Amino acid sequence: MASARDPAAGRRAWAAQAGGLTYEGAHPFGPETVHRWQLDNGLTVLILLDASAPIASYHTWYKVGSRHEKPGKTGLAHLFEHLMFNETESLRAGTFDRKLEENGAESNAATWVDWTYYYESLPADRVKLAVKLEAERMARLVLREPQVTSEKEVVANERRYRVDDDVEGAANELLYKTAFARHPYGWPTIGWMEDIQGFTPEDCVAFYRTYYAPNNATVVVSGDVRERDLLLAIRDAYSAIPAQAIPPEDIVPEPPQLDTRDLVVRKPTATEKLLLAFKGPALGDADHATLTVLSEVMFGGRAARLYRTLVVERELATDVRGWVSTFRDPGLFECWATARSTHTTHEIQAVIDDAFKVLRADVVGEEELVRAKARLELAALQQLETIPGKAEQIGFYETVLGDPAHAFRRVESFRRVTTGDLRRVARRYLSEGGRTIVRVLPEGSATAEAAQ
Amino acid sequence: MSAARAHVQAPPLRFSLDGGALALFEPAHAVPLVSIVLSLRSGSAVEPPDKAGLARIVVRMLRRGCQGMTAEQIDFRVDALGAEMAVDTSPSTVAIHAQVIARNVDAFVELLARLLSTPTFPSEELERLKRETLAEIIEARDNDRVVAQKALQRTLFEGHPYGRNPGGTTAGVQAIGGDDVQAFYRTFVVQGNAVVGIAGDVTPERAPELARKLVAALPRGERTADTVPEPTMRPGRHLLLADKPERTQTQILVATLGTAAHDDDHVPLLVANAVFGGTFTSRLMREVRSKRGWSYGASARTLVDRRRQAWVMWTFPAAEDAAKCLELTLQLMETWVKEGVKSSEVAFIARYLVRSHAFDVDTAAKRLHQALDVELLGLPADYYSSWIERVRAVTPEAASAAVRNRIHPEDVLAVVVGTAAQVLEPMRGAIANLADASVVPFDLE
Repeated sequence: MASARDPAAGRRAWAAQAGGLTYEGAHPFGPETVHRWQLDNGLTVLILLDASAPIASYHTWYKVGSRHEKPGKTGLAHLFEHLMFNETESLRAGTFDRKLEENGAESNAATWVDWTYYYESLPADRVKLAVKLEAERMARLVLREPQVTSEKEVVANERRYRVDDDVEGAANELLYKTAFARHPYGWPTIGWMEDIQGFTPEDCVAFYRTYYAPNNATVVVSGDVRERDLLLAIRDAYSAIPAQAIPPEDIVPEPPQLDTRDLVVRKPTATEKLLLAFKGPALGDADHATLTVLSEVMFGGRAARLYRTLVVERELATDVRGWVSTFRDPGLFECWATARSTHTTHEIQAVIDDAFKVLRADVVGEEELVRAKARLELAALQQLETIPGKAEQIGFYETVLGDPAHAFRRVESFRRVTTGDLRRVARRYLSEGGRTIVRVLPEGSATAEAAQ
Repeated sequence: MSAARAHVQAPPLRFSLDGGALALFEPAHAVPLVSIVLSLRSGSAVEPPDKAGLARIVVRMLRRGCQGMTAEQIDFRVDALGAEMAVDTSPSTVAIHAQVIARNVDAFVELLARLLSTPTFPSEELERLKRETLAEIIEARDNDRVVAQKALQRTLFEGHPYGRNPGGTTAGVQAIGGDDVQAFYRTFVVQGNAVVGIAGDVTPERAPELARKLVAALPRGERTADTVPEPTMRPGRHLLLADKPERTQTQILVATLGTAAHDDDHVPLLVANAVFGGTFTSRLMREVRSKRGWSYGASARTLVDRRRQAWVMWTFPAAEDAAKCLELTLQLMETWVKEGVKSSEVAFIARYLVRSHAFDVDTAAKRLHQALDVELLGLPADYYSSWIERVRAVTPEAASAAVRNRIHPEDVLAVVVGTAAQVLEPMRGAIANLADASVVPFDLE
């Protein structure tokens, strides 16, 4: 029986009466609340009511990314990001986007190693259009020629833009390929060019039937919506879609890296670039937040240690950045530097090595820690500034960690990090023995020849 | 209360401040963040022509030393407050954009006021910043799209202040001395030339006090008169190829002069342009990407400034598709100008523009930036507030006439970044009635 003292009771009772869905509970999301619902076919629905603007953002996160592909078929998960805007059983090719635009919606999609997501942000009174369209393409996508060939061409062009003609994109692809010998994180999400060009409609159909299922997806809605009205629309649109048996993952963990892998690639660029990466923790590992704070101490902003040394004081670099991959399985701690003028990656690397040696030996100053935490708190708040931004954060953390409010837990984790923790993760992860280095050298340069 | 009534937007609060400065405030309390914009009514267009990059350098120098604080101490303080600062430069304005965690807004405004009122412009910091800027100019050449945009701006507006690169050129930055920085600061970074914007988690009582503190930190001085002339378009069709080795893809920009905000047919032209290349299902996207798969993106944009700015069409096909893609987009442009837009297209795009307006104003920062645009670019006062009504009023005839009158396919500049040995001849062949073609190194400034 519903009780005024139990805020969940009213939702549970309503769900029981409505049928076809259950209320699974509330997640405090900062000062707000995310409500978790589930349809009988396994579709998870997370709703955040936010009336700060007359809009709604409807995100559909699928637990499928490039990690689910097979060698020879890389890029298939990302190809869907394109195919999903095409023909369905009741919508001719091109109609999907027309309907969204006509209703003032913004829409797009993204794919990475662990997930693929699609979103529509709409005027709040149009949100049911997103319900209808997403349900339609979850189960009734038509995969045939000429659309598959045409989208393969578009993706090939996207690859040229992001990787083949982009120095950093090309270096990054090589870094992951070299660092991961066994794990699928070693192949690029956009796919190898020959794989992209080889896809058939049959490949697409098999992938779609395997992974595009309600029990492999989470719908996140944030915005100025009426919760019950929306839930009934979602139930009615999706309930006929059957759950699928999602195949268990067959991923071999990446073996520990004990050697240094050092590669040189030459590109038509004026200056050398260095990508240096250590194996890092998974996003769900307690060390992830700590290593993120360490990265901020070293790379985040003009006052960060390595920015200060490499860019400001010694002027060896134009830009330096650090990033801990936010993946479900252990990823990388990447360090990127653009050399200035004729300075070399070896000069820069020597400075980075020294700086990390200091980190392993001594604790950083308390004020450096405070500075890094303040920057990370600012960045976390910036990601929650908009209604679509909130939906993205909820969907991402739900899909990778099963915790829709993890963005707030992460800020709490940052706050708890001590200088001693930083030294511990430096000793654990920043070992000079097992790392991967990619050096981009200008074509025809003397250093390029010397490095061979 | 209905959802619609709950979301009626009041315009930003305006405050006139001492010395002729203006402040705008847009409250929002959903997230504990405050955005602060300190903008000047002058940008790269007022720089001495041989000192391109001066406006940006001066504003960046403000955080490189002030009374009692070194650059390093300032950087550390900004970060420790949970704040960030960036500089944005255009022909008509240069601005500091900052954001800070709300609990530290008072301390951050104190710091910013100190930077504005007591800059020391240390000469060693100026030399360091110049070297940084020169290195950034070199790095930007790795991005083909940026290379194309710079070449377009330089060539389309050759000899006009809009043709200068607000980010600076190698020669321009090298020529800047300490006296130039001081002179620019004294003339342009002054109360009468300032517009302060505040958005976010601040009370309406506190916002004017913060704005007043910032303006009081500036030297007194007059608003700068805008003497930028109207740009003109070189007649004929021209091709400029920025030659870069090993390109598997080409960046193609096709441009001519577009529209000015005060034109009677400004909104009709924007509507017609949205039909042509403004959305994912526009004519350009349909023909170039959806039907042929030639380019990942295909769009057309009308830029807005105080004077007539460019209309630009953008595609980036594989090198082997580049010529036929350019030929197709020019044909689409010609058909668009000659035959105009259909009533069904105008009805469709009006629904899109009116309904998607919710996303132009869904955050306080966006609403603030619209209000700042009106002030800094001299747009009509109701430019944004009457947008929906003006879009609804556009007829197919008015939209078609606007394209016919404003867009001239016989006078265009095509800028291509690609490998000349591979694409030059095919590209020449793709442009009917081509007046001239020139090849320049991709790192030309």
